[in-house]
Amino acid sequence: MQFKTFDIVPHGTRFDFVGKRRIAVTLSLLFNLAVILWSLPAIHGLDFGVDFAGGTEMQVRFDRVVDPGEIRRQIEALGFKDASVQTYGPESDHSYLVRVGRISLLTQEDVDRVIGAVKGKFQVQGQPHFSPEVGDKIDFEFVGTPPKHADIRAAVESAGVKVREVREEAGLTAGSRSIAVLTQGIQDRVERELFAKFSGAKPEVLRVEYVGPAVGRELRNQGFKAIIYAMALIVVYVGLRFDFRFSPGVIIAIVHDAIITLGYFAFTGREFNLTSVAVILTVVGYSVNDTVVVYDRIRENVAKLKGKKLADIVNISINETLGRTFLTSFATALSLVGLLVFGVGTIFDFAMAMLIGIISGTYSTWFIAAPMTIWLEERAEAKKKVAASAKAA
Amino acid sequence: MERTWYWRLALVVGVALWSIWQLVPTWYYFRLPPEARNGPKYEESVPRWAPDSRKHLNLGLDLQGGILLAMGVDVDRAVKAKVARRADEIADFLKDKGVAVASSAPSADGSKIEVRSADAPRAEQVVLDAYGSEMAAPSGAPEGAVWFAFKPSVIKDFQGKAVEQAEKTIRNRVDKWGVSEPDIKRKANNQIQIQLPGFKDPEKAKELLGRTAQLEFKIADDESVVLDPIRSELPACPSTPDGWQLPFPATGCWMLETVELPSGGQRQVTYAAASKRQELEAAIATALRPKIARDQDIGIGEVMVGQGPLKERFYRTFLIRAKTELTGDYISDARPGVDSSKGAGEPVVIFTMSPEGGRLMEKLTTENLHRRMATVLDGKVETAPYIQGKISTNGQITLGSGRNYQEKYQEANDIALVLKAGALPAPVTIFEERTVGATLGPELIRRGAIAALVGLAAVMVFMLLYYRMSGLIADVALVENGLLVLAIMSLLGSTLTLPGIAGFVLTLGMAVDANVLINERIREELRAGKTVRQAVEQGYDKVFWTIVDSHVTALVAAVVLMQYGSGPVRGFAVTLIIGLLASMFTSIVVTRVIINWFTRKDTARLSV
Repeated sequence: MQFKTFDIVPHGTRFDFVGKRRIAVTLSLLFNLAVILWSLPAIHGLDFGVDFAGGTEMQVRFDRVVDPGEIRRQIEALGFKDASVQTYGPESDHSYLVRVGRISLLTQEDVDRVIGAVKGKFQVQGQPHFSPEVGDKIDFEFVGTPPKHADIRAAVESAGVKVREVREEAGLTAGSRSIAVLTQGIQDRVERELFAKFSGAKPEVLRVEYVGPAVGRELRNQGFKAIIYAMALIVVYVGLRFDFRFSPGVIIAIVHDAIITLGYFAFTGREFNLTSVAVILTVVGYSVNDTVVVYDRIRENVAKLKGKKLADIVNISINETLGRTFLTSFATALSLVGLLVFGVGTIFDFAMAMLIGIISGTYSTWFIAAPMTIWLEERAEAKKKVAASAKAA
Repeated sequence: MERTWYWRLALVVGVALWSIWQLVPTWYYFRLPPEARNGPKYEESVPRWAPDSRKHLNLGLDLQGGILLAMGVDVDRAVKAKVARRADEIADFLKDKGVAVASSAPSADGSKIEVRSADAPRAEQVVLDAYGSEMAAPSGAPEGAVWFAFKPSVIKDFQGKAVEQAEKTIRNRVDKWGVSEPDIKRKANNQIQIQLPGFKDPEKAKELLGRTAQLEFKIADDESVVLDPIRSELPACPSTPDGWQLPFPATGCWMLETVELPSGGQRQVTYAAASKRQELEAAIATALRPKIARDQDIGIGEVMVGQGPLKERFYRTFLIRAKTELTGDYISDARPGVDSSKGAGEPVVIFTMSPEGGRLMEKLTTENLHRRMATVLDGKVETAPYIQGKISTNGQITLGSGRNYQEKYQEANDIALVLKAGALPAPVTIFEERTVGATLGPELIRRGAIAALVGLAAVMVFMLLYYRMSGLIADVALVENGLLVLAIMSLLGSTLTLPGIAGFVLTLGMAVDANVLINERIREELRAGKTVRQAVEQGYDKVFWTIVDSHVTALVAAVVLMQYGSGPVRGFAVTLIIGLLASMFTSIVVTRVIINWFTRKDTARLSV
């Protein structure tokens, strides 16, 4: 009986993947290098979102079209140099993402001026406390009964720093009290300014996110660490399940895919945030799947086709599994279609980067991971030969 | 058909039915308008035959709106405070030892203590004899003075404790307001992250969380009989021979405990308990509060039952005297320790009061010897140990019996944290605040749902067109997979976030991967001339480990992500993990049961 199917990849395809490995590796190397260079802060850098860079991000909706450039100009007039405004969602929403690069902390001069002003008026006990990590709070302790909150506020504001709140807290030593002066954050100022300038367009602040610089730095480092850990664990697993001979190929393939996915964020200038780390981790976990399928087949064929050269076995294995490595990636990519069409903002970026990661994963399986195994094998052989001839001589 | 096939069929059908049943509360939850979902209307709408109404899908912060806060602990300031307290302590200590002290004060930067004394070398000797394990005397002090500084390891340990304490305080407060599904996590870098879905007022949240914890000591009123009548008003708490049977009735219930009295006798004291704090508060307001005298008050404490993941909690009352005898401001230090006077040693809490606090404590403990003293943090009774003897500046708290050494030591550590929490000056500051407007929610949910459905439809149509019958079978499995994932998420009370929806869609795409692998292998075997039955058997057997491998690698990445991520990203990781586990079952077991049915005869044909 003749068995008939429609195959996307015709049965019996013989494509020489191993033979193309030099071109593929060169191309990939160049592209990876480009991504890494472009991501370096000195050259271009990634556009870190509020998650990572720290700062204030607001989503503002107007009831009519407002020129984003005008919004930016208004905010920059307030003294924020690196403000950015982008439309968010469909045009008809009139929604904008307003981002003020870094939260403006009190500068040391501000702090000194405030402390000077308060010391000038009241008897301050010890040295007032200010932590740049906290950024907007100064703690005072006073000799004897602390002055009235309103008086402290007036003293601080006379130094040119706006006060949001003055409150009493327990002091450093048992039974003593201290007064905390909280200065006004930029969030309030930006919000107020927008209402004042665009009252006609009824601005509505839908969402405010505020991330301190310490949190951002911490998250970023942890994110990169998480990616490295995941890669290491996967490589160990594949090594244990198959053969540590395969490990270098797997490492190179997943590093390649992670960098290519990063490339989406680097070259499009889309925001790199927590979700982007999630995408890269998912790509790393997923792109190994194809590699596993091919390696499984290589192992099967090594036992079946004894006497053939490894390069041929690898080529045959890739070709035999070509249909499924392509189709699995295709099916997963299909599930992203909805997100690509209906997703906005972060979710669109998620789907797009994931798609690129999936494509890269399949490509790296065919052209990088499997051929890399041969290359390493050849090197090992060559070394053995050198060693053997050295012995003979 | 083989006998095992019927078993597998029963499993597949059983899982499908269970998933649907488990999703009943979720169905009723989302049928209500958003405002009514977290109220009593929801509980009423769920039919009686449905599973526990609390087990439904929750919407995350990004979909429901709410507040996310990252509270930082200003450990810098906490350390300064510790140094300042120690400076006072050293001054007192030296005076006690008869060493003349001119002054003992922290240096300007707060890193060390400068003690001025006519006899500086002796002051150094005396202080190091007593505090040598924690402090050192750095060189470089001016003439007539000596410097003391904490050892770096002590500072590091103390900073860790400060964060632990802050977390405990925050947990306690959030618990008190009864926000649904709060998520409180300690993060690196001295931070605590709090998620409050559905909470609308950021100012209130900040005010409640930012306050300094108030620690009070109150005396338990165990001789009073005013609460005995609640035994006729509330049901008795249900119990089994092994212990309490949770959850307790929502009305609250009563229990008895045997308490030793200062007169030497014993008494059965009645108290009320409930599974939820709000339930207990309601019971207190209706049944308990009207009975107590003006100088009495009701304190609420928490009781943990069971171990590990099965740990459950309930809340109970303590009848205490309303007067606050002493506040935590007077405590300068507290730590867990071991009292070695009794046999193998007993874990205890050792605490140090400031000189003035010591005098107050001495008076309090002398007057109330053998009574229970409740330590109340932020209105919650943390512990109520018996006063065993007179306590002045240095005291120790002995713990109740009935637990092993390890548990007691843990409790001693917890109580020490509570005591110090009262002693620490406002160490928490808000580092990060995110407010998600509710208006953002419905729009995003709708888009997310459409995106998921479109993705699902695209995958299903592709499978059907490409693999025909086998594709249809894979589609059936995919639907069961979707239901199973949602059911497990409901059971765990997981939170659905926008990235979570993306993760859900992605797992559906990945779930078909296994079927693509199986079907491609079956094609290959058919091409090699095998019969349909053989091809199916071989197809499943040969790719089984490949499927396991690919799922494990993806799971590794997802688990790492869960450890790392917070909020929405964590939701994504959880969804991915559940989806991967479910897909192993549906894509292998479910499809195989169906395909076996169609290929039960040797002459069977299968479009693949």
